[in-house]
Amino acid sequence: MLTIEDTSRRRVRDYERERHASSQKGRRKINFSLVNIGKGIDIPFVLLIFVLLAIGITMMFSASYPVAYYEIGDSYYYLKRQLIFALIGLAVMIAVSFVDYHYYHRFAAIILGISYFALMLVLVLPSQEGGVHRWIGVGMFGIQASEISKFAIILFMAHWGSRYYDRMNTFKFGVLPGAAVFLSTAFLLLFEPHYSCIVIIGILTVVMMFVSGIKIKWLAIGAAILAVLILLLWVTGMLTYAMERMDGWGQALNEDLDRDMWNSTWQTRNSLYAIGSGGLFGLGLGQSRQKYLYLPEPQNDFIFAIVCEELGLVGAVLILLIFALLVWRGVIISLRARDRFGKLLGIGLTCHIGLQVVLNILVITDWLPNTGISLPFFSYGGSSLLTLLFEMGVILSVSRTSNIEKS
Amino acid sequence: MGANQRLRRRTVWLLIIILAVGFGAVITRLAYLQLVQGEELQRRAIEQQLADTPISAKRGTIYDTKGKILAQSASVWRVVMAPAYFDDGAEGDEQRAFVASRLAAILELDEAELLEDTKQNTYYVSVKRRVESAQKDQIIELQNELSEKYNKSGIISLLDDYKRYYPYSDLASSVIGFTGSEDQGLWGVEYQYNDYLAGTPGRIISAQNGIQTEMPFDYNQNIGAIDGSSVVLTIDETVQSIVEKYMKQAIIDNQVHERGVCIVMDVNTGEIIAMASVEGFDLNDPFNVNEDQRKEIDAIDVEYLIKHDYFEEDEDPYKISDAKKKELIEQAKSEAESAALARNWRNKAISDTYYPGSVFKMVTLSMALQEGVVNKDSRFSCSGAFQLYEDTIHCHNTAGHGTQTYQECLWNSCNPGFIQIGQLVGKTKFWEYYQAFGFSEKTGIDLPGESEDQFFVHDGVEGNMLDTDLAVASFGQNFSITPIQMITAASAVANGGKIVQPHVVKQILDNEGNVVKNASTETKRQVISESVSKEMRGIMEENCTTGSGKNGYVAGYRVGGKTGTSEKLIDVNDDGADDYIASFCGFAPANNPQYAALVFFDAPLGGNYYGSAVAAPVFAEIMSEVLPYLEVVAQYTDEEASNIDTAAGSYTGMSVDDATAAAEGDGFSVTVKGEGSTVISQNPATGATIPTGGTIVLYTDESSKSEKATVPNLVGFGLSEVNDIAASYGLNVSVTGTASSSDSTSTAQSVPEGTEVAPGTVITVTFSSGGIAD
Repeated sequence: MLTIEDTSRRRVRDYERERHASSQKGRRKINFSLVNIGKGIDIPFVLLIFVLLAIGITMMFSASYPVAYYEIGDSYYYLKRQLIFALIGLAVMIAVSFVDYHYYHRFAAIILGISYFALMLVLVLPSQEGGVHRWIGVGMFGIQASEISKFAIILFMAHWGSRYYDRMNTFKFGVLPGAAVFLSTAFLLLFEPHYSCIVIIGILTVVMMFVSGIKIKWLAIGAAILAVLILLLWVTGMLTYAMERMDGWGQALNEDLDRDMWNSTWQTRNSLYAIGSGGLFGLGLGQSRQKYLYLPEPQNDFIFAIVCEELGLVGAVLILLIFALLVWRGVIISLRARDRFGKLLGIGLTCHIGLQVVLNILVITDWLPNTGISLPFFSYGGSSLLTLLFEMGVILSVSRTSNIEKS
Repeated sequence: MGANQRLRRRTVWLLIIILAVGFGAVITRLAYLQLVQGEELQRRAIEQQLADTPISAKRGTIYDTKGKILAQSASVWRVVMAPAYFDDGAEGDEQRAFVASRLAAILELDEAELLEDTKQNTYYVSVKRRVESAQKDQIIELQNELSEKYNKSGIISLLDDYKRYYPYSDLASSVIGFTGSEDQGLWGVEYQYNDYLAGTPGRIISAQNGIQTEMPFDYNQNIGAIDGSSVVLTIDETVQSIVEKYMKQAIIDNQVHERGVCIVMDVNTGEIIAMASVEGFDLNDPFNVNEDQRKEIDAIDVEYLIKHDYFEEDEDPYKISDAKKKELIEQAKSEAESAALARNWRNKAISDTYYPGSVFKMVTLSMALQEGVVNKDSRFSCSGAFQLYEDTIHCHNTAGHGTQTYQECLWNSCNPGFIQIGQLVGKTKFWEYYQAFGFSEKTGIDLPGESEDQFFVHDGVEGNMLDTDLAVASFGQNFSITPIQMITAASAVANGGKIVQPHVVKQILDNEGNVVKNASTETKRQVISESVSKEMRGIMEENCTTGSGKNGYVAGYRVGGKTGTSEKLIDVNDDGADDYIASFCGFAPANNPQYAALVFFDAPLGGNYYGSAVAAPVFAEIMSEVLPYLEVVAQYTDEEASNIDTAAGSYTGMSVDDATAAAEGDGFSVTVKGEGSTVISQNPATGATIPTGGTIVLYTDESSKSEKATVPNLVGFGLSEVNDIAASYGLNVSVTGTASSSDSTSTAQSVPEGTEVAPGTVITVTFSSGGIAD
């Protein structure tokens, strides 16, 4: 049985040790220079990123050019912007890969604070289309507050989980901070509103807690509470009501919808049409018909429906395999990290990508309500691409650090 | 377990969960959507991606046998609506209301229903078909208004469509039939041959984007409509017109209550040359009753309701409320209208069953001859009635016909005689022949609505006859058949014993005029031998010259035929007496039959109801015009040679003397009008046929041409008197009917008394023989 002094001492010792080690190693080994650009980074992971980005931008162009043609008059409108952001993003990624990720350790709490500020800021800023408060800044220079939140929470949970790794089995250290961060963030997101992000943040928090080593019991209790809540909603009929209110979720193919419901399920229905039209081998690259103004904003969240239509099940599964490889490689990198913070940070960011992919496709296939989850590397959007490549840079930084240390 | 180990293990678990559960679920879902549901989803996708506009196929033409158009489709328009283009919200509601009210006004449609249509979320609603030019212009105006007022285009469009026209309106109406609102055949040939006539509608498929504007590239697939095939009938418009002309007149003359039927059929091929149910209806307006019927329907009142049992027993018709009275009258009117339409459309020639009566005797005698149960020594006595068990069966000649040969039985149309012939045939054989002659089955004519016969059923067994059944059946009572069955059987009697398949369609032509299908003569079976048929032809020819059928005689042609007067056992006009059907069935030429005709009047109420008096003269009138038209060679008896018609030569341009000599040389007498020396005109014209010995009037100057002769009364005289009277007025007479018989009198003239005509005009006078009561 450890005394409070013991634990406290050990905690400080561990923290100091980690900080020292990282700063020493980082300063010594990592030099920002083009000569060193490939040094230590995980080449398979980089290759996967490039492959996904290439396929993603190609498909984004294919999906977006009719919309760009009709609505803007320039078929290359989205392509040009996405290419610019991809180039900037790749530069950011490489730059970030040189940054010793241990720096984030210190700023974890501050970044979390910034994310809260951003979440509150969007509520007072003018609303966007559909009456939601999600964006800070305008147009190309905007960023979704929730993007900051997701990174901040992963970072904070990695920070907390590595700092108090030996107390994660307690309720106070293992459950309470994660629950508090999640609930407070979720509370703010309710006002945006941005439900899908609440789901993502919830899952990411649980994943981080789980990997950090909290007792399975707490997870089980949490799952039980969630189950009871859902059951209650179901018994009282509120679930059905909620499902109906959620833009006709699951109703997209019902031909007897009234006009309002028909219109609100328009995007999902046309997504299903696109996916179904693809069949096994697809209509061929560029041959989508649904992108001709049937599927609204095919370049955004629903881009994978066009991918399915053009490349078929075979193409879709191949792309998913590449994503799976990326996740697998991300996990490998994370597990090779020399310290706990690096491991947790890498796992959190890798999970984030996997989660986005799965949830995005569940949305476009009408298994989840249509609530705005973009597909990494594919969906159009400057800030989200920048954020994504920034996160990839962080993972690469983890790989670079551990590889260089190894050598 | 160390913290690092746990992290590693939990991470591996996490990886498994993400990849197996997450990616697994996603791939399963995609596979389900793309492989299992793919086809359906793709179908629905294509449905919205392609603008699919139907193109109406032009319905085929119906021709008569000579290529005259009986039914044809002409171009009109179809109005369609794409309600999905309406805006949402209040603006959309305003647009919908505007369109609904305007369309209702232009197209005479129900505004509420149209408003419902505008709320659909589709791109194709057919608003109205067969819109004519005037309405089309108004629709174009509406389109312009829509684009000016709401900046909306594409909501209302006009597509090609076709409308059916029937140039001869009511001619052969129940045979040709008509089409319904979707251009589908509903009756007659239009119904029976709908699959050929309808064609295949085409479609224009064009790619459209989500907002139904142009695609950046062209994608148009045009599946052209395949126009319908055309149908050539065996019906000859000229023959049909002749038939209907005489039938209409006879129906008026004889106050026929339940319409009349005439079928003209080629006895060897089964081709129906004419088939009339008179009065018919206007094919261009088949869903409205005619004026007389409209008057009757409008006149429906309480008395009508009482008469037709519209009231409950305990109701006092005069004390019911006005509302109830109005409701009942509306009901009665609507029922009367439906009944009137059904009656108009009904093709009596194939749908009505009737007792054939004495016409059937030709069949009974054929059976007896074929079976050899009668011969030249057979004698049949008639005392005016025949006693069978408790029943007494009367002959129309109550004095009796005395002792007769079987030929005389037919000439006299003697019922007791035929009862005895029937008894010789026997019940079993009678039933066998009844079936063999085709009375127990539908003829299978290619028209809708053919009825089955109604034959005796005893102890539940069809054809099980009692002695009395046989007795009555032998002269055509007690069982009902259709006119088409009767003429088919009569054709077999005449044509050498072959039951041929009657049909009204000769040929089907594709839309380029190539023959797709030719109807061929279909002989079902041989029912009597050629020799029996030959004997029957002789007996029936003689029947038309000296026997009960002589009113059916057609001068210049060898005609065989039989009259019939059958009891309807129904009182159609509530006068307390059962009514009759007067019919005549005959064929010509008797030595080599080509055409048979059946004339049938249902309930003549003009006093005379015998087939010999009502139907036979009409047969003669029709055949006297139809046979020459059909180029049947005339064969005059010596006696008729004096009355033979000769074509007038051309005498115009000759000097008066030369012309006179030429005309007299041709066998005409000559009257010269005017003071000139050259013939400038003649009447009758060159090629017109007039009786030999008739008068040719030659005009020598213009003033003489204005001279007129007044037509005298030519009805009620013998042949020689008629000729004398006509000659004294400077007119020519063409004779039809039974003129040769000593007791013949003229019964009709083609130009009414008192009409001013040019001298020399040919007036057709119909003769018939009195004193025959069958």
